[in-house]
Amino acid sequence: MAVNFRVELIWKESGDKEAASIFLTSDGRVILQGRGVSAEERDKLALPRDAELISVDRNLIRAIKDML
Amino acid sequence: MFLRNYWYVAALDEEVRDRPLGRTILGEPVVLFRTADGALHAFEDRCPHRRLPLSMGKIVDDVLQCHYHGLRFAGSGLCVRVPGQDHIPQNARVRTYPVVARYRWIWIWMGDPALADPAQICDFHWLSDPDWGAKPSYLHVEANWQLIVDNLLDLTHLAFVHETTIGNMALVEHAAVKVQRAPNNVLVTRWIVDQPAPPTFVKVGKFTGNVDRWQIIDYTPPAFLRLDVGACPTGTGAPEGRRVGGIGMRNLNAITPETETTSHYFWGQAHDFEPHNAAMTERVFEQIKTAFLEDVAVFTAQQRMISLKPDAPQVDINADAGGIQARRIVDRLYREEQAAAAAHATAAE
Repeated sequence: MAVNFRVELIWKESGDKEAASIFLTSDGRVILQGRGVSAEERDKLALPRDAELISVDRNLIRAIKDML
Repeated sequence: MFLRNYWYVAALDEEVRDRPLGRTILGEPVVLFRTADGALHAFEDRCPHRRLPLSMGKIVDDVLQCHYHGLRFAGSGLCVRVPGQDHIPQNARVRTYPVVARYRWIWIWMGDPALADPAQICDFHWLSDPDWGAKPSYLHVEANWQLIVDNLLDLTHLAFVHETTIGNMALVEHAAVKVQRAPNNVLVTRWIVDQPAPPTFVKVGKFTGNVDRWQIIDYTPPAFLRLDVGACPTGTGAPEGRRVGGIGMRNLNAITPETETTSHYFWGQAHDFEPHNAAMTERVFEQIKTAFLEDVAVFTAQQRMISLKPDAPQVDINADAGGIQARRIVDRLYREEQAAAAAHATAAE
């Protein structure tokens, strides 16, 4: 039987500001919602060219600390 | 661990009449009663004379009379009569607690009375709203209150504990659950879109095709859980907030700690279809009650195992996400309450 129970965690600070989602997947992974880092940003910020990088907001880091 | 500066449900409204009702709340013995004018009173349930529970006494001339030696206590908690003597000792008094009747429940404040604001009572209006049919009830449970909160915030146990009543394996297969955590609230949401309605929904909702179903669990500390469940014909816009042509129910839960290992479980079931049909209210209530008793068997058994070996390890899985977030809120509020109490004590020295 295939079981695929997925949980989306959303952390909300006082007020209405929400952090981006954290996904807990049934295969044990934690997937974060962010955006890819462009080649231009990598050049500008001296980031690795080949690594898979995502940019996340600081609220998401607080969410990880608080929720996981 | 108890949070004290909160309103808790102490009793069903119908339980508190002109006879004293004894109930232990947050480890403290409390006696509740009403006087002839309908006014509610809550006292420490311990006579300051020889410590008999005052709930063994009776209401005489609108004051509470102890069963042992007949000392009488007025609404202020002060002793107003000692049989056989004129002198009333100054310390012959009992603690009183703020109490309020609302939503067919009696609410009590066990913390600092100066902080008791009835506006903070959690909203359970569905129990007394004429647009809803509703029935409140009470269960005494041999389990810690947080085990009940965990249970109510977890949707996956429905497939196993309630496999013959309200659950099936579809509830854990390919399920996507959203857990939103605010400073003092957890919201667990699950939508099941464009699927056949379960038989109980078809009966009352008269659905002829697929439906969009929702299960939304709202947790407010210390232990209030309001479950919003229902269905609408698929494609009519329920996930976007347009609930038309469907049915809605509220499963309403207020858990009051009795001791660290026992709880008062106040709950009710409300429905928005045929709200004035008492037979429908009873039928909906009985269906849910069967499932509730299945849960009670689970958390009382959990408590037995926990009491045998409190430090036995336990592991967490994804399905625990809602319960874990609720416990984190309670832990934080407990630390804050303890710190405030310590600061208050220091200032008083």
